[in-house]
Amino acid sequence: MPVPIIMPKFEMSQETGLLVAWHKSEGSQVEKGEPIFSVETDKVTMDVESPADGILAGITAQAGDEVPVTTVIAYLLKPGESLPEVSVKKESIPASAEQIVKEESAGRPTSEQPQAEKDRSAESEPTPTATPVAQRMAAAGGLALSTIRGSGPNQSITKADVQAALAGAGAKESDVTEQKVRGAAEKVRATPAAKRAAREQAVNLRQVQGSGPRGRVQEGDVVEFLSLEPENLDGRQAVIPGLSGEVEIIALSGMRKKIADRMVTSCQSAPHITFTTRVDVSALESLRERLNQKAQQNQAANISLTALLVKFVAWALIRHPALNSILRGDEIHRYKTVNVGVAVALPDGLIVPVIKHAENKNVAQIAAEIQDLAQRARQGSLTPGDVSEGTFTVSNLGPFGIEQFTAILNSGQAGILAIGAVQREVVPVENEVAIRPILRMTLSADHRTVDGAVAAQFMAELREVLEYPGMMIY
Amino acid sequence: MTREITYLEAVREALRQEMQRDERVFIIGEDVGVYGGAFGVTLGLIQEFGEERVIDTPISELGIAGAITGAALTGMRPVGEIMFMDFITLASEQLVNQAAKIRFMFGGKAKVPCVMRAPIGSGTGAAGQHSQSLENWFVHIPGIKVVAPSTPYDVKGLLIQSIRDDNPVLFLEGKLLYKTKGEVPEEPYTIPLGKAEVKRSGRDLTIIAYSIMVKRAMEAAEQLAKEGIDVEVVDPRTLKPLDTDKIIQSVIKTGKVLIVHEACKTGGFGGELAGVISESEAFDYLDTPIVRLAGRDMPIPYNRNLEYHTVPQVENIVEAAQKLARLEV
Amino acid sequence: MSQNQHPYEPLDESVKNKIAFNQGNDRLKAWLALMCKIRAFEEKAEELYTLGKIHGTMHLSIGMEASAVGAIMALDPNDLILSTHRGHGHCIAKGADLGLMMAEFLGKECGYCRGRGGSMHIADVEGGNFGANGVVAGGIPLAVGVGLGLRMQRTDKVIMCFFGDGAANSGPFHEALNMAAIYNLPAVFICENNQYAMSFPYKKAFKVARIADRAAGYGMPGVTVDGNDIFAVYSAACNAVDHARNNGGPFLIENVTYRWRGHSKSDANRYRTKDEIDEWKQKDPIQRLMAYMVDSERLSADDAEKVQQEAYDSIDVAVTYAESCAEPALDTIEEGVYA
Repeated sequence: MPVPIIMPKFEMSQETGLLVAWHKSEGSQVEKGEPIFSVETDKVTMDVESPADGILAGITAQAGDEVPVTTVIAYLLKPGESLPEVSVKKESIPASAEQIVKEESAGRPTSEQPQAEKDRSAESEPTPTATPVAQRMAAAGGLALSTIRGSGPNQSITKADVQAALAGAGAKESDVTEQKVRGAAEKVRATPAAKRAAREQAVNLRQVQGSGPRGRVQEGDVVEFLSLEPENLDGRQAVIPGLSGEVEIIALSGMRKKIADRMVTSCQSAPHITFTTRVDVSALESLRERLNQKAQQNQAANISLTALLVKFVAWALIRHPALNSILRGDEIHRYKTVNVGVAVALPDGLIVPVIKHAENKNVAQIAAEIQDLAQRARQGSLTPGDVSEGTFTVSNLGPFGIEQFTAILNSGQAGILAIGAVQREVVPVENEVAIRPILRMTLSADHRTVDGAVAAQFMAELREVLEYPGMMIY
Repeated sequence: MTREITYLEAVREALRQEMQRDERVFIIGEDVGVYGGAFGVTLGLIQEFGEERVIDTPISELGIAGAITGAALTGMRPVGEIMFMDFITLASEQLVNQAAKIRFMFGGKAKVPCVMRAPIGSGTGAAGQHSQSLENWFVHIPGIKVVAPSTPYDVKGLLIQSIRDDNPVLFLEGKLLYKTKGEVPEEPYTIPLGKAEVKRSGRDLTIIAYSIMVKRAMEAAEQLAKEGIDVEVVDPRTLKPLDTDKIIQSVIKTGKVLIVHEACKTGGFGGELAGVISESEAFDYLDTPIVRLAGRDMPIPYNRNLEYHTVPQVENIVEAAQKLARLEV
Repeated sequence: MSQNQHPYEPLDESVKNKIAFNQGNDRLKAWLALMCKIRAFEEKAEELYTLGKIHGTMHLSIGMEASAVGAIMALDPNDLILSTHRGHGHCIAKGADLGLMMAEFLGKECGYCRGRGGSMHIADVEGGNFGANGVVAGGIPLAVGVGLGLRMQRTDKVIMCFFGDGAANSGPFHEALNMAAIYNLPAVFICENNQYAMSFPYKKAFKVARIADRAAGYGMPGVTVDGNDIFAVYSAACNAVDHARNNGGPFLIENVTYRWRGHSKSDANRYRTKDEIDEWKQKDPIQRLMAYMVDSERLSADDAEKVQQEAYDSIDVAVTYAESCAEPALDTIEEGVYA
């Protein structure tokens, strides 16, 4: 009987162990008690001893792998024995902690499999880990994941693996559909509208994940792609620890994944500096009231605080172009016009439609545009043009009662302004106690291109014009 | 001044007003005189205009078709009636080989200004030989125009215009539309042939429908609106010549199109529409395949329930539209 | 059964003479000239076709000239005709310009139909010829419509509708003759019984001895005459036209005649014998009129020949004209489909 070798648990709360190194190689003879690999936990590095004599075989974890505790990572075989066929419960990927790779691992240079590769029983269909993209593509291509060799960490199956499988000669299905898919793996399946959108916005369709039937790229997918501009869609599979008990597992995919990737990129590449200032919005509030009376008379859209702020922000950005710029590679692109993105919350994420040339629009236009864009954003009918070419972003969580918060920069932009709630506060006015409506706004800026003083000046001038709106005419 | 009248009354009014205006206009068909027409369309007209201008014929569809063609050649403007479109099969020789072609064959030196009216469609339990919609046959014939109005307002304006048109016009009246009501101006007016109408403006999906299917598409649109699917309904009104511009514009706007007609799917007019759309600028804006929802490829059955399920109904339109909107197609 | 036993009564000699007298020599000569023109035209058309200059097909009426001329001479200039696929004769008898006809046959822009109609659809609506027709019996229902139109416009014009024995068995014949009768239309229906509907002999196609017998079935008068005797044709036609014009309703005339050539150019004449054809050639309508006129000294033999020669000459002129005409321009290809 093959003896399993597992990743051991050393501490109570330990969930994974980092396999530092194997001391013995695949196929080598091992004695009981002999150290065969070392493991690093949060606290210590430990050697793990062999539980029995035998030939080390079926190694499924490599140096550097973070392996969930109690996972079988190798076997000890007696001469003539073969590795067991393991049936793994079919759970939704990637929950299971018991992951076994199949015979394809025979092809890996570091291992020799003493048994038949194609030896697979009908019932035991091990479900290997696979990235969400890979899963979708495999499903679209009619391929069982178990037929695909995985090249990712822990033999997980990546998009590249699926593409190779689809394009390769491995599949012997006579199903016409699958043959077509194989042949069509070189072509992107996309609707004419998606192709046009991609063409117009210079998007490589291959990078866009399709949400339509049979993995078809729809126009909305291109729109989404544009609004988030993720840099890496390959979606490396992060190992999610298996949690026993109740857990809802949501694959990180679609918009969520794109946002995740984007946030990571932004945080990793842009050193964020943040600046908060408190603004007395009494003047702003009465201005807004008056504006809305006018709007009502003209049966025009209600002018929200956000719309008003967009207008003033645009004014201020014209005067502080350093904040109205985008860093692309080695170039700082400072824009002479202001396209303000306004963050809109969606049930499954967020999207940032853009008010173009905001400095040239009056607040009534801006308000109408915001209303239209927000509505269409919620309906999912934004066009690529709606979400592209933003130069600065504004995010208002005031309606949720958030006093103050820090926003993460939007892909490459130099600045993002986070707006908090207006709260009546006690403030000193000329040595007397007064109660004023106060708003806290927080600028996050990219320190690669914006220094503290520059940002501070922008904020100062923005605050000034918000407190004295008439200053706009200067 | 408008008032509410039925589609059938609107047809009658168009006939009457044109006959009053132009003494060259006359009506000829089976039972159009004293009987008042098989569906009652011409009721009262023989009393007003006399036997000479409201002519009853024996059962002679071919004769009727020949009569309107020959009379048109002498300068009259006849309006013939085929009792059920199904019987146009008997009249085809004169319509297809003579009326449609004479002008061209004579080097453009003759014209055949005539109208042939025929009721189309199922839903009355009349079964296989009294329920067909054969409009696509005639859309295919150069030299004929084909009109299929969906509302009382449209039917009056289009019939008056058809009578005034100098070409042979096949004028198709939906049987189930005869009793529908709508606001119709009292005075004569025309609606140009070859102009579609957007019966309902929408953003998410275009439904192209004509004749009885317009009504059903509008009902479907109401239901779909409740789920947040905003449907645009385009009614071509004239099938030949077709207002391709309006259709193309609509498809560009929504990117999704559902074509609905009662006639059998295979070889039906929907294929023509799909071809027009995919050969046009609208192709680049399609976000889903062009879908046709049409009658099953079978004769209309007698059994009421079977008859109902042979052609698209409101719920079928709703379902097909939902599939498109949800990108399940 | 020999063709000689066909059941029509030959025209009484006295009637013939009366007609001849009333017409006068010039008129008769004009009749002869017309028939000669038709003959010459048909022969030339045949020749051009054989030379490959006319494309498509054609249906020649050589041998049937009297049926066309005699009938149409009974009409007023303002009356109308509808013709068949074998309609060159009717066209010429109605006064068509030979040059424009030839041009149409050559498919030229200046032809009657701008080259779009050709032999089978040649028409001159302005001139009262509502067209040859490519569909057998295609013109008969049209005659009903024309008759209705003429009457509703309170004209006293008559529509003369030609068709062949083949048409007399088709549906449209039935529907149209019935309708013409019940509406009392000013229509004269002329059935040119040339013994064959393409290859199907009249004797096999009809159980009745005379096609004109069917007239009674529709409640209209009918008469069968020797279609190769121009006087007989004329006499019957005058009677019918008169009847129709004066509100007597429609009339059916059967002109018994024969076509010398096959149905169309691709007809190998397998369904009839050379003897039969020769027998009918003896009854050549042109020869018969010519003989009558020469015998009754209404025309000299020389003049008779001159008439024939002039006919051939006029055809040559027509051909020259037609050949000089231009082809239709390609960018006008879709014109005329809709008004």
